[in-house]
Amino acid sequence: MSTKVKEDLKYTDTHEWVRIKGDLAQIGITDHAQSELTDIVFVELPNVGEEIKKGEELCVVESVKSVSEIYAPVSGRITNVNKKLEETPEVINESPYDDGWIAEIEIKDKSELDSLLDAEAYKRII
Amino acid sequence: MVLKSPLHKVHEKMGAKFTEFAGHMMPLYYKSIKEEHLTVRKSVGLFDVSHMSNLWITGKEAEKLISFTTVEDASRIKDGMSQYTVILREDGTVIDDTIFMHLGDKYMMIPNAGMNKIVNEWLNEQAEKHDICASAEDVSRDYVILAVQGPKSRDTLQKLTNVDLKTVGFFQCRYIDIAGVNCIISHTGYTGELGFELQVSPTALAEDLFYKILDAGEEYGIQPIGLGARDTLRLEKGFILAGNEFEGGRTPLEATLGWTINWDHEFIGKKPLLRQKEKGDYERLTCLLCIDRGIPRHGCEIQKDGKKVGRVTSGTLSPCLNKGIAMGYCQPDYREKDTVLDIIIRGKPVKAKVVKPPFVSKDWLKTKLGNI
Repeated sequence: MSTKVKEDLKYTDTHEWVRIKGDLAQIGITDHAQSELTDIVFVELPNVGEEIKKGEELCVVESVKSVSEIYAPVSGRITNVNKKLEETPEVINESPYDDGWIAEIEIKDKSELDSLLDAEAYKRII
Repeated sequence: MVLKSPLHKVHEKMGAKFTEFAGHMMPLYYKSIKEEHLTVRKSVGLFDVSHMSNLWITGKEAEKLISFTTVEDASRIKDGMSQYTVILREDGTVIDDTIFMHLGDKYMMIPNAGMNKIVNEWLNEQAEKHDICASAEDVSRDYVILAVQGPKSRDTLQKLTNVDLKTVGFFQCRYIDIAGVNCIISHTGYTGELGFELQVSPTALAEDLFYKILDAGEEYGIQPIGLGARDTLRLEKGFILAGNEFEGGRTPLEATLGWTINWDHEFIGKKPLLRQKEKGDYERLTCLLCIDRGIPRHGCEIQKDGKKVGRVTSGTLSPCLNKGIAMGYCQPDYREKDTVLDIIIRGKPVKAKVVKPPFVSKDWLKTKLGNI
């Protein structure tokens, strides 16, 4: 089954996507990830204000059957989280790249963005 | 080695996502666990549960063998009846829970997936040891087991048989022709809904029957259902999953299965059970409904005021209630109805209250429709 990969985003090999908005990195999980999880029924959002390092566990997304860790693609301070996901976690399934965004991080070190995958590279690993 | 169901290709064609369970590759879901779960509660679903085991118990003293190796007095279970019971070790802990069906001069027992060899060997060992003229035969590979469950299950199957299915009462069993296939039908199931289970042999007949049941149920919106929904359906009703709830060695008293025990007959494990019954201070299986957000999982600790009082054996998000639900063993002082306990999920306490099962009542659909 082919899943959507957006050309204008960056990706990780753990299936997170990054949308660069100036100094902020908006983060979510890819269409591939949400289709593997199927119904997402619970999201434990990270805490606003917390510092996080690239590769650390950012938050947890749960389906009926499984618990999935989501990892921070960049280091920085968490400035914003998508509170809507607490009431309607299934938005991630419906709109993984837009309404289903999970958190925003103030990028500490812009050079970390270089090691992210572009759309073509991500397509090759799924 | 992982065993595939005789219907594996059918599941592949229907887009199943597979999982391994007790050495068997079975569909986890076809569309989604939540969707399949709600379809069974609202209408009808078709399950392939061929991973379960089938044993024939035969011989002059077949009834005696069952009475001795389970907590049931099998003389109470007449021809055409089935019963849910447990098989115990000498120390009173459960080897397996199972249903057995009385069919003429023999019995069909349905142990759990992956337990066929163990239960078969145990029964034959006990027959020999205690000079009981009976034997067990493992015929699991000869049977496909189909479960048709949900409010529209009877209507679906009725289209495929001349037998008035209303005459197959709760826990009754018999031979029957369904869509021209002679099989064993029982009014049993693992979902808490109206439903039937079919034992089909030889397995070559099962594929056609599977499709015919899907055709018959099409007007009701029938779907094939995977093991994912099978687990959420049973947990919503407070039914036991042997691999979880008997893990580490549990007695039927601890598992709140005392109601299955017929104390007026001799059975393996009776003496230690009587001793435990007398002492009374044992942990018991307890149902917890989450008050806070969070999904309890197997292994989560249960606490009261920071003190450990138990552990979760089964947990999930209830698709009907949209709340976390769990079963676990709790110390006896902490399980009075409405007691609020903490389930520790990823290091954080999530409040949950003790409830009497089922989590989802028989009236759920009526109430749900009434609220629209």
